[in-house]
Amino acid sequence: MKKYKVTFYPENKQIEVGDGENLLEAAMAADVHINSQCGGEGTCGRCRILVDEGEVTVLKTLKLSEDEIEKGYALACQTLVKSDVKILIPPEARLGSVPDEEEEMVDYGRVLSAAEEADRIKQIELDPPVRKLPLKMNPPTLDDNVSDVTRLLRALSAAGITNKMEVSSSVLDHLAHAVREADWSVTVTLLFDEDRTRVMRVEPGDTTDRSYGLAVDVGTTTIVVKLIDMRTKEAVAEGSAYNAQISCGEDVISRIVFSGKGKGLKRLQGLVVDTINGIIKKLTESAGVDPADITHVTAAGNTIMMHLLMGLDPKYLREEPYIPTVTSFPDISAVKIGLDLDRSARLFLLPCVASYLGADIVTGVVAADAPKGDGMFLYIDIGTNGEMVLGNHDLLISCSCSAGPAFEGGGVKFGMRATAGAIEEVAIDAMSHEPGVLTIGGKKATGICGSGLIDVLAEMFLAGVIDQKGKIDLGLNTARVRHGENGPEYVLVWENDSGTDRDIVITEPDIDNLMRAKAAVFAAITVLLDSIGMTIDAVEKVLIAGAFGKHVDAKKAITIGLLPELPSDRFTFIGNGSLWGAHFAAISRDMIRQSNDTAKRMTYLDLSTNNKFMDGYVSALFLPHTDMSLFPSVANMMKRD
Amino acid sequence: MEVKETYNGTIREVTLGVGDKAVVVGGETALSFYTFEGVMPRKPVIAFDVYDEEPADWPAPVVEPYKDVLGDPVKWALKCQNEYGADMICLQLVSTNPTGTNRGAEEAAQTVKAVADAIDIPMIVYGTANVEKDTEVLAKAAEAAQGKNVLMGPIEEDNYKTIAAAALGFQQAGATHSPIDVNMAKQLNILATQLGLNADRIIIDPTTGALGYGLEYVYSVMERLRLAALTQNDSMTQMPIINTIGKEVWKAKEVKVSTEEEPAWGDAETRGIIWEAMTAIALLMAGSDILVMRHPKAVELTRDFMALMA
Repeated sequence: MKKYKVTFYPENKQIEVGDGENLLEAAMAADVHINSQCGGEGTCGRCRILVDEGEVTVLKTLKLSEDEIEKGYALACQTLVKSDVKILIPPEARLGSVPDEEEEMVDYGRVLSAAEEADRIKQIELDPPVRKLPLKMNPPTLDDNVSDVTRLLRALSAAGITNKMEVSSSVLDHLAHAVREADWSVTVTLLFDEDRTRVMRVEPGDTTDRSYGLAVDVGTTTIVVKLIDMRTKEAVAEGSAYNAQISCGEDVISRIVFSGKGKGLKRLQGLVVDTINGIIKKLTESAGVDPADITHVTAAGNTIMMHLLMGLDPKYLREEPYIPTVTSFPDISAVKIGLDLDRSARLFLLPCVASYLGADIVTGVVAADAPKGDGMFLYIDIGTNGEMVLGNHDLLISCSCSAGPAFEGGGVKFGMRATAGAIEEVAIDAMSHEPGVLTIGGKKATGICGSGLIDVLAEMFLAGVIDQKGKIDLGLNTARVRHGENGPEYVLVWENDSGTDRDIVITEPDIDNLMRAKAAVFAAITVLLDSIGMTIDAVEKVLIAGAFGKHVDAKKAITIGLLPELPSDRFTFIGNGSLWGAHFAAISRDMIRQSNDTAKRMTYLDLSTNNKFMDGYVSALFLPHTDMSLFPSVANMMKRD
Repeated sequence: MEVKETYNGTIREVTLGVGDKAVVVGGETALSFYTFEGVMPRKPVIAFDVYDEEPADWPAPVVEPYKDVLGDPVKWALKCQNEYGADMICLQLVSTNPTGTNRGAEEAAQTVKAVADAIDIPMIVYGTANVEKDTEVLAKAAEAAQGKNVLMGPIEEDNYKTIAAAALGFQQAGATHSPIDVNMAKQLNILATQLGLNADRIIIDPTTGALGYGLEYVYSVMERLRLAALTQNDSMTQMPIINTIGKEVWKAKEVKVSTEEEPAWGDAETRGIIWEAMTAIALLMAGSDILVMRHPKAVELTRDFMALMA
């Protein structure tokens, strides 16, 4: 078969592929990232590339304009290589890097501070599920001639470990040398279960000053890892990277679809493990820590991510009646899934509730210490899925709704992830209808990220560019509203001012997607409240988790009716609840227990069978809502106009 | 023990037409005909369908009463007014349909004016629910009927700006039409009122389904609108309701099939009349204030029912 060279720019990476290979596959093989949401179906239009040189066969050109096709643009997944080719990946199709976290200031609600987090960690008693213990043994004599293992167990018993003891078979390999090397002084790594204790590793000498744990938030988009020093309970390093599974589809559903194709499942597991290994390498190097000194890993994520990490087929999570293989995971050896750690290192996956309510939420709720008081709390995590939990110490009720990818920048013509060049803040003047935009990193705008989209919607609404239904007013006296290829649109950035070769616009279909997303989230909130006969006023604190919460202006989110209108002091942005939860679990068995209890106590409402959801959804398909009495301040703002 | 509901809301009163024959609709303080719980100050009114061109798809039994006037909307309207005692005329501008005769807005407006000048009862002017064409046609119609205080519709989400503005500009009332959904009905009313059309110039057209064709769906949506209006005092649902019954009933298969084709179903004319009256009566119970009907005998039956209930 003929082979051709494909060169990708700006990376300048080259790969040889067979005749007729598609460019998205070629890019994956070359380790070049091209955005794709649909997993190569040719429907999302995200993998737009420019064929600079060479011959290709183009299958589908959905989502491309005639003008673009003329210029040589094509969809990577629908373009087959027919000669040596040079491919340019435009900025909006590149992955970019995870932007640095900054301490955010918000003017509505409050952000949980680093000091509060540190305080919380101090209060948690150190009792990790895996712990190192220094041990001195009496050397054997002819009179005291029991085996090394028996001697070890005897010493453990003398040290106060009274549980039923077991020795992991892998310990035996080097035990004879390990106990003798430092004159019968060793460090034992113990795994604590409810009713038994297992010896996982025996090292010569006292190594308790080198004892680390890892907390991992396995996000669909971003993976974040904390390296925790077990002596201080605090993180000594934190790092993140995009989940490499993104190349196989941006949302969980396309990942599930991908997992069903050929070796898809193995590949997905490999990619997430590679991503975690990459972060571990960076963290341990920067902190000067030997990965072998990491005794355990705790991981939280949504149920699909947990399944993929374990290599479990997620197929049935997607099909009615949406059943996961497991929600309460047994701990396993971390090397079993391919993590680059010592073979004694354990991996703990935190518990999930249902297919669409995962460990990220359960641990987040526990980490935020939410279910303690009498007052009602509402915990919200908004991403592709909106997940929420309502409750107090008596009851916990949860649900999840599909918000679509709009809040992550998907399903929107110029949507993008929150990377450099993404518009994140917008203000539109109500008189001239001229916008002002701010981008991440101050770069020229290439697209709009989730928080930017919420700003755009709120500002367009308040400035009268759209009506309460989200329809653009083409009668406005500005060139920025016009008829585009997808119907009416509003020009946010003219081509000349942008970092791309097109006007950056918001189209009516974009607005519809955003409206649907926000309506689904708000309807889910109303259904939860309704299920226990409460109204929103009864909620004393609203805890908003996720990257989303940190960057979104809550006032704008209220303006469009995504978040309920409540006084500012009831909102707290807790940041990455899932990572918090994993951190706490790494240092405290009690936190793991609380997570398990919480997962068990949590009632899950399936909205797909809930008839009130549809009703709530339609009434929320309005800015801010059909029932204006729920949004008095927005009603006031509208009157002023 | 007698259990009575108490309500805290009232349906708005909307006046249509001018002079002695003007009608007022609405004003209920309880569910329709629940006179033991509140006031129903007047009976619902019945408007007769009049087409602005000879209808192509009316079954024989409903053509019969009008066979001498079809194709002449003025004569047709006068016949309904003078012979059948119509409370109102509903002039349907079907000839403007772009997929049919596609008559222009100007010409349609002339018909509107001619009919409005000929009759003394109030008039409803309906377009074809073609969003773009209606924008043109109803704007002209509003102008042509200036001073007659007609009800114009359907006002849809996609053309409310123009049509509601025309109604506002020429002092007509508007019928807001939404696809069988309480929230969407309400949303459209909010949009129309924000444009400046007064809430007491609006009638809700919730979409009508005939018996066997979604009647129960329409029934429950209307009932929910009424309960929101009366028990929650929800201002944007407190408009009277119009149901375009004739148009829906006379296209149902059970109504169109002739006696010869289905002898077991009985006489086609009786069947059609009963079908229309049954649909009308059910929707009266659900809260209808204006029924748009076709067959004079179905109208008679419906009026008998109202007399019985009052």
